[in-house]
This record gives sequence, C-alpha cells and structure tokens, in this order.
Amino acid sequence: MDVLLTDEQEMIRETARSFLEGECSPQLVRAMEADPLGYPPELWRKAAELGWQGLSLPEAYGGSGMPLVYLGLVLQEVGRAVAPLPLHSTAVAALTIAEAGSKAQCEAILPGVVSGDTILTWAFTEDDPRLRPEAVTMSAVQDGDGYVLSGRKMFVDDFAAADKCLVVCRTAPARGGSGGLSLLIVDTKAEGISHNPLITTAKDKQSEVVFDRVRVPAADLIGRAGEAWPVVERMLDRAAALLCAQMLGAARKDAEMAFDYAKMREAFGQPIGAFQSIQHMCSDMVIWIDGGELLTYEALWRMDEGLPHGVEVSQAKAFCNEKCLASARNAQIIHGGIGFMMELDLHLWYRRIAAWGMRLGTTYEHRARVAAALIDYPGEVVLGQPVPVAGALPEPERRVA
Amino acid sequence: MNFGYTPEQEALRREVNAFIAEHVTPEVLHDKEAQDDQMHGSGVADPFGPNMRELYGKLQARGWLGIAYPKEYGGQGGDRISQYIVEEAFMRVGLNISLSGSGAPAIMAAGTEEQKRYYIPRLISREITFALGFTEPHAGADLANIRCRATRDGDHFVINGQKIYTTSGHLSSHIYLMARTDPSLPKREGLSIFIFPMDTPGITVRPLWSIQNNPRAPLGTTYGEARTNETFFDNVRVHESTLLGGENKGWKVAADGLNLDRVGAFRYVMSIRRDEDMVNWVKTTELEGYADNPAIRDKVAELWIEAQVCRLMTMRSMSIVQRGRDFTYEGSAEKVWAPEHGVRTTEAITQMLGPYGQLLRGSPHAVEEGVFAHNVLGAFQSGVNHGGVTIMRDQVARRGLGLPAMRRPKAAAN
Repeated sequence: MDVLLTDEQEMIRETARSFLEGECSPQLVRAMEADPLGYPPELWRKAAELGWQGLSLPEAYGGSGMPLVYLGLVLQEVGRAVAPLPLHSTAVAALTIAEAGSKAQCEAILPGVVSGDTILTWAFTEDDPRLRPEAVTMSAVQDGDGYVLSGRKMFVDDFAAADKCLVVCRTAPARGGSGGLSLLIVDTKAEGISHNPLITTAKDKQSEVVFDRVRVPAADLIGRAGEAWPVVERMLDRAAALLCAQMLGAARKDAEMAFDYAKMREAFGQPIGAFQSIQHMCSDMVIWIDGGELLTYEALWRMDEGLPHGVEVSQAKAFCNEKCLASARNAQIIHGGIGFMMELDLHLWYRRIAAWGMRLGTTYEHRARVAAALIDYPGEVVLGQPVPVAGALPEPERRVA
Repeated sequence: MNFGYTPEQEALRREVNAFIAEHVTPEVLHDKEAQDDQMHGSGVADPFGPNMRELYGKLQARGWLGIAYPKEYGGQGGDRISQYIVEEAFMRVGLNISLSGSGAPAIMAAGTEEQKRYYIPRLISREITFALGFTEPHAGADLANIRCRATRDGDHFVINGQKIYTTSGHLSSHIYLMARTDPSLPKREGLSIFIFPMDTPGITVRPLWSIQNNPRAPLGTTYGEARTNETFFDNVRVHESTLLGGENKGWKVAADGLNLDRVGAFRYVMSIRRDEDMVNWVKTTELEGYADNPAIRDKVAELWIEAQVCRLMTMRSMSIVQRGRDFTYEGSAEKVWAPEHGVRTTEAITQMLGPYGQLLRGSPHAVEEGVFAHNVLGAFQSGVNHGGVTIMRDQVARRGLGLPAMRRPKAAAN
C-alpha cells in the first residue's frame, strides 16, 4: 500500500508534461478545433517517437508493455495540455485488439499503431446513449465469407483521422441482455461508409457514422461471433477510466490557472486570492481533483492487477463527471467576466471538461452500477473490502428478494 | 503506486478479526461503555476497567499496540500499514486502540530522547493519556491568539490562564498544553508546548456539557464527546524539562503534531461507518420499496463513492507518513472532506428514516440503537474540533496552493 507515484511514474509524467508544454500551445489547440482532421500529424509522430501509442501494448508487437497506470499518466498530461491527439481513441481500440484479437490481427495492426502510422477508433453508441448492450442494434448479417454491416453509430471519436474502427454490432438478433454482440475491425474507408462531423461543445472530432451494407471479411471479427460483450465491457471500462485520467489532467490545469489568476488579479485593494471566499473555492477544487485522481488510479491499478474493477471505474467516472466540472465552473467564477471571453484560453479546458463528463457513462448510470453492486446482492458491505459483485452497467439479476 | 495489501498484511487482518471475535467480549464492551459513562460523567479512579485492562494485556502480548513505533520506545518497530490494519479492525467494534489524538506522534516528532523513552511506552499502554489544552474562550479557531501565560522562573515555568474544550481532562493523567512564553514576539513565535501531569497543583477542571450528553450513544458512534471541560491554571509550576520541542517553538510542534495525530484509522472509520450502516440498512429493511427507490439508490451510491475518497485520502496520508515525507496540505484536505462527508451521510439516512431518525438510544422503537439520531447531534462536531473545516480550507489554500494572506489595512495617517 503506497498510493503515491513512484519515481519512475513521476518521471513519465514530467517527461510528458514538458514535451507538451513545448509542443502544444493553446494556439495549436485552437487551430485544430477548426481543422477537419483535428490533429497535427507532426505532433502525433513525435508522440510515437516518445512511445506513447505503444506504451501499454505488448512488447511482442513493438509496444513497451507498461501497466495501464502509465498510459493513464500520459493521458492525464494530454488532458492537461488539452492536446488535440487521437490518443485516447487509438489506445482504447488497440488495447482491445491486444486483449482479444487473434495473433494475425495483432500483427497486422498493432505495430502500425506503435509507430504512429495507424490511428484507431471504436464505435458503440447509437440512438440510445446508455452504455448497455441493449443499446446496440446495428446488425452484421453473415454473407459468404464475411459480414454485411448496416446501421448508424454516434459520437465516434476521430473517425476522419482513423484508419480502422472497432464496431460493436449484432451478429444475431438481440437475445436480450448481452447476447449476440460481436466486435468487427472495420476499415474506415470501406465502401458504404459515410460520416457526418458533429458540432460539439469541445469542438473535438466526433462523428455520426453511417454504415450502408458495408462488407467486412470474417477474418476481421474479434473473438467469437455473438460473444463480444465481456470484451466490449472491458473496453468501455478502460475507455471510461482513461477518460477520467484525461479529464483530471485538464481539470488540474484549469484549476491552476484560476489559482494563478487569484494571486495576480487585484480587487478591493487585495489580490482576490486573499479573500477566503476565493480561497475556500480553491481548496475545494484541489480536494475534488485529488479525490478523483485517487479513485481513477485505483481503478487503473486494479485493471493492471487483473482484479475486478467495474465498480471502481464507475466510482471514478461518476465522481469525476461532477467534481471536475464543479472545479472548472469555480475556475470560471474566479475569473469573472474575462473567463467568459473567447480570447482567454480558459474555455479550451472548460468546454472539454464539460463534454467529457457527458461521455462514457453519465453520473447517474455509473452510480446506478455502484448501487446495484452495493444493494442487490446479499451480505454486508464493508468499505475497503470487495463488494459482493462488480456488476455490468445493465441492472444485474436481483438476488435479494 | 500500489493500492493493495501484502499477503502478510491480509493475514494479519484475518488474525485480528478472529481475535476480536473471540476476545472483544460483552464484558470488554461493558468496560468500554463504563469508560464512556465516566467520560460523560464525573470520572473515577480507574477509567479502564478490569476486562479492558486484560484485553490490553493480550494486545500487548501479541505486539499489536504501537506497531509502527520503534522498539526502544515500547513499540514493535513494524510498518505503519500493519498498525493501521489493527487499528481499523478495532475501530469497527468501537474500540480506539490507536495513538491518534494521543500526543504520541508529536512527541516522536519533537520530543527529547528522555521524553520519548518516558512517554511513548506509557502512551501505548494507556498508562498515560493526554488532554489537549489548546484553545481558550476568546480565541476559538484563532489559536495563535491564546493568552495562557507560562512565565519563566529559573529552570521552571509558572502557568496561569484558562483552556476550553479540554476533552477528557477529568480522566487524563497528563495535559498537552500550549501557552505563551514570550509575549514580546509575534503571536505565533512566542508559543510553547508543555507536557505534564494533571495532578500538578493549581489545576482545576470543570465540566462543559455538549448536546450529545444524554442518553449515551452506542459504541463508536459519537463524533464529539458528550462531556468536555474548561481547565484553569493558577500558578502551576512546571520544570523546563516539560517543554516539548523547545521554548517558543510551540506553533510548529502543534501544527505538525495535529497533522500527524489525524492520520490513521480513528477519524477515517468515524467518517465512513454510517455509510456501511446505511447500505446495510437499505438492503435489509423490511420496509417495502427502499432498496428499489431510484432516488435512494442514487444517493447511496453518491455517498459510497465519497466514502471511498475518505478511504483513499487516508491511504494517501499513510503513504506520506510511511515515506517519511511532510504534509503540505494533504492532512488538511482529508480533514475537510471526511467530516463533511460524514455529515452528508448522516443527514441523508435520517431523510430515509423520516421521523424514526429522531429516536435516541433508549427510546422505544429506536433504529439501530439510535446511532443515526446520535450522529445528527454530533456528526458536524468532527468538522469543528481538532482544526475546523474552515481553518482547514484556509490551510489548503495557503500552504497547499500558495494563495496570499490578506493585506492589513494601512494605519490611518495622522
């Protein structure tokens, strides 16, 4: 038990921070908001030289095989710089291929990810925004040696930039619950695919992607047809935990800008940071962000240890959704009118923190999962000891009468 | 970064729980209740009780007291986490065997070799207990503003003044006193800490009754104490060897000591016990619809997540202590989050219980011996005592974030 970062972890963080401080200015972030691809290829290439894309991928495919916690630390710095890099989407998809893909699939895709040549993304959500298997209706009909994919995915990250997209679909009619789901690796340039960029508060690159009779070879199926839910659930959990890290990095930097402003800005004959009303807002901000960080590190650490982690991920995301946004809201209040102005960079952080809190599970969804684990299974709960079961996002079967 | 326990630590936890099941008997708990009665009453000669004394003997024999303290001072020379594991298990049955709030961490940090050799073993065995003599009626949270004077007289000091909220002062063998030794210095620089016996001539203890006093709360449910005291010092003569950390060094000794005193199982378990009670009540109540009520489920999960943050902040503080680092703001952050969380949980569950939430222990139909009603009367006290949450927020902002102090208005020109 030592929840502080090790020297090596501190070093990874410092390296990432100083790299992005040098390479990713707010001007670049603004420029990429208006760019159709949304990321600077030069920066992406440099990130690959630092080994970021392959940080937690297996060494067999050129990765560094580091624990997920390390990737979390890097994504925290990406969030801190609000760096316009498709790292989260690429990492989430690549980790899923590494976990559940065949050797041939790993060999075909992962070395390109590590080198920075291949960008990945993944697609789950459709009309129903909830992260539960029933929300997936998109069908993949078997046809000869492949599948024909039709339907529509929403909120797909970095689709325009991506080469491949992991698509969660139904290869069998929904049997209720998690049955019948499959995971396909789809070429983003395949015939029959069209995408519409969404206009988001974060001004990031999310798309609605329409699949019109898209043919996918059977060789691009991950794992066994109809049995993808456990893999997908782990993908969603990793994605949520890593997004928490990114969100916390952004919230920490956003808060620091408010602290600095409070020290410098004078009103009523004082730096406003001398007023306790401001000081107490600031202290709450750092307490919230620290709390979110501890929850997130614990979730990532449990994944690395191969321990059940669903409840811990939901704890982290529910908390970060509320507290990172509350902190960013305080930062806006502390800045007063100028914080509302486009010319100040603060909104680059606020807009993303707010948006990330709406993605990969809302506060209510994640709390419902925690509540189910706490309440719906017999036996007393003890804080710090495992809850009876780390249930899936959908309501688990009730075992209490 | 490691959020797990070693197999040895897990084995220790199982061993401690098995020990508790066997040895923390109703007789021991009776002694603890009697001890609480004395705390809440006038005090008697032996506040410990024969069964409790016997339990302490067994704990001592197993090496479970003061695990992380060095062997030469009566500890076990073990690790802080193991000590925490033992303390947490006992806190969960309402027994605080920890040295949190005992003064021991401050003596380890600032004491002379002689003081450590004398006090630490006796604090571990509970032969010596301290009442904390910090604040005064006019000072409140503005601790640097105290007036209690210790005037040097050769190699002695003569103490005059009044302390308030000297909880357990009527039972404690010793007092840990902050007094002003040099009024000519700036406020924080002229203060010193003294440690000496309560039976030193010239000390008078008078009771102050809190709103929690009657009827007594069940074991381990109160945040504050039912009885506290005001203590008067009338020409109390103490030798200079009773100084802790040196003359005029009291502010730093106290601040470091308070931070260290808060770390550990005691405050953590206080702040989260009601979360467990709440969940376990919701899932076992025979009242229809509680476990399915979406509003209750959402609130329960929200509070549970907050409680996890209490746990993790405790782990962070332990990690800092274990690495031998100093706190900048982490102890203060924990002392804001945990007490306020405890209040939120208490208030939420009383909203689930409705009118039954009012019923104190001893009342017909009291729920869970009235623990929640008692908490309503006392949970907020944890946000007031030992450095209130407003002061703690000041410390996070100033020490943690470097926010500036208020500029003093200029004196009027004349």
